[in-house]
Amino acid sequence: MGALEGIATGFQVALSLEGIMFVLIGVFVGTFIGMLPGLGPISAIAIMIPITYGMDPTMALVMMAGVYYGAVFGGSTSSILLNAPGISGTVASAFDGYPMAQQGKAGKALAIAALSSFVGGTISVVLLMIFAPMLASVAISFGPPAYFALMLLGLSAIASLSEGSTIKAMISAVVGFMIATIGIDPQTGTARFNFGSANLLDGIDFLVIALGLFAIAEVCYLIMNRAKKSVGTAKEIGSLRLSKNDMKEMSGPVGRQSFLGFILGILPGAGATIASFISYITEKKIAKNPDEFGKGSVKGLAAPEASNNAATSGAFVPLLSLGIPGSGTTAVMLGAFLVLGLQPGPMMMTDRPEVFWGIIASMYIGNIFLLILNLPLIPYIARLLTIPRPMLISLVIMFSFIGVYAISFSVFDLYLLLAFGVLGLLMRMFAFPAPPFILAFILGGMMEQSFRQSMTISGGNISIFFENNISLVLIILSVLSFIFPIIKTIRTKKKEA
Amino acid sequence: MLKNVNQRVAIVLAVLSAFYLVLSYQLPTYPYIPVDADGVPKALGWLLLALSVGLFFSKDRDSEEQKAKRHIPKKDVISLLVVFLLVFLYITFFESLGFILATVLFVFSSTWYLGYKKHMVNAIVSILFPIILYSIFVYMLQIRLPAGILPF
Amino acid sequence: MKKFLAILLFVFLLGFLAACGGEDNEESQNDSDSNEENTEESSEGSAEGGEWTPEQNIEMVAPAGAGGGWDTTARMAAKVLNEEGIIEESIGVVNKEGAGGAIGWSYIANQEGNPHSLFVSSSPILLVPLSGQSDHGHEDFTPIANVIADYGAFAVREDAEWENLSELFEQMKEDPSSVTVVGTSSPGSMDHIQFVRFAKAAGVDITKIKYVSAPDAGGITQVLNGSADVFSTGVGEVVEQARAGEIRVLAVTSEERLEGETLSEFPTAKEQGIDEKFINWRGFFGPAGMTEEQVAYYEQKFKELSESDAFAEIRTNYGWNEMFMGSEEYKNFLDEEKENLKGLLEELDLLNE
Repeated sequence: MGALEGIATGFQVALSLEGIMFVLIGVFVGTFIGMLPGLGPISAIAIMIPITYGMDPTMALVMMAGVYYGAVFGGSTSSILLNAPGISGTVASAFDGYPMAQQGKAGKALAIAALSSFVGGTISVVLLMIFAPMLASVAISFGPPAYFALMLLGLSAIASLSEGSTIKAMISAVVGFMIATIGIDPQTGTARFNFGSANLLDGIDFLVIALGLFAIAEVCYLIMNRAKKSVGTAKEIGSLRLSKNDMKEMSGPVGRQSFLGFILGILPGAGATIASFISYITEKKIAKNPDEFGKGSVKGLAAPEASNNAATSGAFVPLLSLGIPGSGTTAVMLGAFLVLGLQPGPMMMTDRPEVFWGIIASMYIGNIFLLILNLPLIPYIARLLTIPRPMLISLVIMFSFIGVYAISFSVFDLYLLLAFGVLGLLMRMFAFPAPPFILAFILGGMMEQSFRQSMTISGGNISIFFENNISLVLIILSVLSFIFPIIKTIRTKKKEA
Repeated sequence: MLKNVNQRVAIVLAVLSAFYLVLSYQLPTYPYIPVDADGVPKALGWLLLALSVGLFFSKDRDSEEQKAKRHIPKKDVISLLVVFLLVFLYITFFESLGFILATVLFVFSSTWYLGYKKHMVNAIVSILFPIILYSIFVYMLQIRLPAGILPF
Repeated sequence: MKKFLAILLFVFLLGFLAACGGEDNEESQNDSDSNEENTEESSEGSAEGGEWTPEQNIEMVAPAGAGGGWDTTARMAAKVLNEEGIIEESIGVVNKEGAGGAIGWSYIANQEGNPHSLFVSSSPILLVPLSGQSDHGHEDFTPIANVIADYGAFAVREDAEWENLSELFEQMKEDPSSVTVVGTSSPGSMDHIQFVRFAKAAGVDITKIKYVSAPDAGGITQVLNGSADVFSTGVGEVVEQARAGEIRVLAVTSEERLEGETLSEFPTAKEQGIDEKFINWRGFFGPAGMTEEQVAYYEQKFKELSESDAFAEIRTNYGWNEMFMGSEEYKNFLDEEKENLKGLLEELDLLNE
C-alpha cells in the first residue's frame, strides 16, 4: 500500500462518525485529566486502558492517542495560572506564562498556549504523515555519545537562561545536577546519597522539585508579601484576543519550535520535557530582546508550548514505525496496543495500515477539536485567579499535594515537597535562579548515564565522542554556545570601561 | 569580617560541597568499569567547591531590589511559620485522617488564618473542593487517595 | 457552574465508554454465573468447618507504577477475578511505586496477618534483597500462587557476525570485554543476570562482561544503531523486530521452543548445548502470617483465574505463558532459585545482603 493510499485509508477511519466521536471523547478526557494535579498523559492512558478492553482496536487507539495529546494540551493550564506545573513537559511554560497571567493577561496567556499547542500539534502531524516511514532511522540514529552531546548542548545554555550573576546560575545548576545523582545508579546498581532510606532509592521525582521550587516557593512569597498590593494574584483576566503584533511575534518561535520539538520528540528518551526546555533556550538565544524572557514574553510562552505538543506527535514515530516506546508515556501506550491484541513493530505499517494511518489522520481532527473545546473554556478557567488570595494560597498547596501524592503515594514525598519549597524561597531571596537548577536536574541525570554508557562501550576511551558525526557537531555547537555569551559580556565590559 | 551576604552564602555552599564530597568518596567501586558510580559526583563536588570560592571573591553585589526581597517584616515571618506548621500538620495527618478530612481542615484553617473573613463561603469551598477531587480520583479514575477514618 | 457541567459531561462520557467496552461482558457474565454455582457447590462439598472467605474488599498491590508488567498483571487479574465472579468481593489495585519494588514490599510487610491484602511480584523479589536494596524478600511473605511465565531472549542486529549463542560465547571466552551487552535494568537485576547465567554455563569469565544499562527503550535502540552488540531482554520485546528482520535472536531462555508464529523460530540455548534456563515467573503473594485456610482459598481462586478463558486471552495478547504453581511448590521453587542467584551475584561481587 502506497503512502497516499494509506493516508486516504487513514482519513476514512478518522472521518467516520465513529472515528470523530472517539477522537472527541479522547481529547476531552485527556484535557480534563491533564488539568488535574499530577495526572499527566501516563496516568491518563493507564486509567483508560481497562476501559478500551474489547473495543475495536483502531477506534480504541484513536481515542487513546487523543487522550495522550489532550493531556499534554491541558497540562499547561495550571503551569500558567498557578505556577504549579502538573506535568514535566509544561514547566518551561510557567517561565513566561505565569508572569503574564500575573500582569492581568491570563486570558491572553492561555490563548497563546492553546494556539501555539494547536499549531505545534498540527505541523508535527503533517511531518509525521509525510515522513514517519523515513524518520524511523532518525529515531535510532542516536547512540550514547550523541545523547551525551545533546545534553551537553542543553546544559551549555545555563548561563544564558538567567539574568544576573553567571556564577550563581552555575551554582544553581551544579546543585540541581547533584540532586539528580541521588538514588540507585543504573550503571552499577549502587545506591547513592540515599542515607539508607528506601524512599530515596529511586531518586527524587521531577514533579516534587518543580512544584516545590515553583508553586510552593511562590506561595511562601505571596504569604510574606500579603501587605503589598502590587505582588501576587491578578484580579484581571484580560481579553483573549491576540493583537496582530502578538501574532507576528508568535509566528517565528511557533514555526521553528514545532520542527525542533518534533525532532526531539522522535528521539527515544528525550521527549516533551527536554524539547520544551531546549526550545525555550533557543528562542531566548536568538531573540532580539532576550531580557523580556522570564517576564511574560509572548515568545517565551509560545516556544515551549508549540514544542511540547510537537514532541508528543514526534514520540509516535518510533512507536508506530518501529514498535519502540521512547518514553514512559509511549511505553504505557504500547501496553494499550497489546491489550487490544496488536503488536506494534516494524511490520505494523504493512500489516495493519488502517491502524497506523488512522491514528495519524485522527490527530489532525483531534487538534482542531482541542482548540474548539478549549478556547471557549478559557475565560471560565482563568477565573480561578479571581479567587481571594488567602483561599488561592490554600488551594494551591492542596493542588500540589495531590499532584505529588498521586504519582508516588508516599507521604515522604510530601515532606520533600515542603523542603524544596523552602529551598526555592531561599534561592529567591539570595538571587539564585531556579530554571538552571531544574534544567540541570533533568539533563544531568541523562547526561551522566549516556557519558558512562559511552565510556563502558569504548572501554574508557574518550575519543568515542569525536568519532561519531552527530556527537561531534553537537559538541562543537555546545562549546560555541557556552563561549559566545562570555565573549559578549567581556566585550560590553570593555566598551563600558 | 564577612562583608556581604554572598560571602556567607559561599561558606554555606563550600560546607555543602565538602559534605557531598565526603559521601562521594565513600561510594563503592567495581573493577572493569571505566567511569564508576563515584566519578561524576566527585567532579560535581569539586566543581561546587570551586564555584563557591569564586562566589566568595566575586565582585557581584546585590541590587537594592534584591536586598529588599530579603527584608521581611517580623509579622510576615510569623505568618509564614504558622502556615508551615499547618502544612506540616496536614502532611502528618494526611494518611491517618484521610485525604478528605485532612484537606478540609487544612484549607479551612489556613484560609481563615491568612485573613479571609467570609467563613460561610470558606467552609463551603473547603468542604466541597476536597470531596469533588476525591470522588474524581477515587471513583472515576480509580486512583486511591487515603480514605483514613471516613468509611469511603 | 461550567466546571460542574464539564464534570457531569465527563461522568456521562465515562459511563458511555464503560457501556461500549462492556458489550461482550454479558456473555461472560453468564459464564461466571455458572462458574459461581460450581465453585459454591465444590466449596460446600469440601467445607469441613475450616473454610475461609474474604470478609471485605481486597486490596491488590502492584509494587510499581502504572503501566508496567506488575501493574498490568495486577489490573488484569483483578478484572478477570471480579468480572468472571471468581471472587465476589471487589478487588482494588493500588500502586506502591518505588525502589524496584522495595517500597511496596515494606508496605505489605507491615500488614502481617491481613488476608485482604495481596501483591504481585516476579524475579526482583529475589534479586533486589540480594543486592541489599530491600529489607524484605520472599521469605517475609506468603507465596500464594504463580500464574505467568515469561522468558528472556538474547538478540543482535541482523548483520551481526554471530549466528547463534554458541558462536557469541566462543568469542567471549577468548575476550569477554570485546562484546557490549545492553539491558534495561541495572547490573545485578534480571536482564544482566539472565545473560550472566548463560555465559557462565558456557564457560565465559563473567566478571569481565561489559554491561550497559539503558532505560526507556534505549536497549533496542542501541543494538539497532550498533552502539551495543547484544540485547538481553524479555522475549516479548524483540519478537516484532525479529519478524521484521531487523534483529536476530540468538537464543531464548526457555527449555523448549516457544509456541507461536515467529516465536517458534527462536532457538533455545539448550539445543545449542548450553544447559541452562531462565524463567521470569510472575505470581501472587500475601503478607506473612496467613492461615492455611486463607492460603487454600486464594490458591484455589488463582487456579480458577489461570484456567479461565478470559485470562487465557489476556495471556495471548501480552505473549505470556501459563505457569501455575500452588503455594507449597511455589515456595520451594523460590527458595531454590534464590540460592542459585545468590551464587552468581557473589561471583560478580554484587552480593550485598
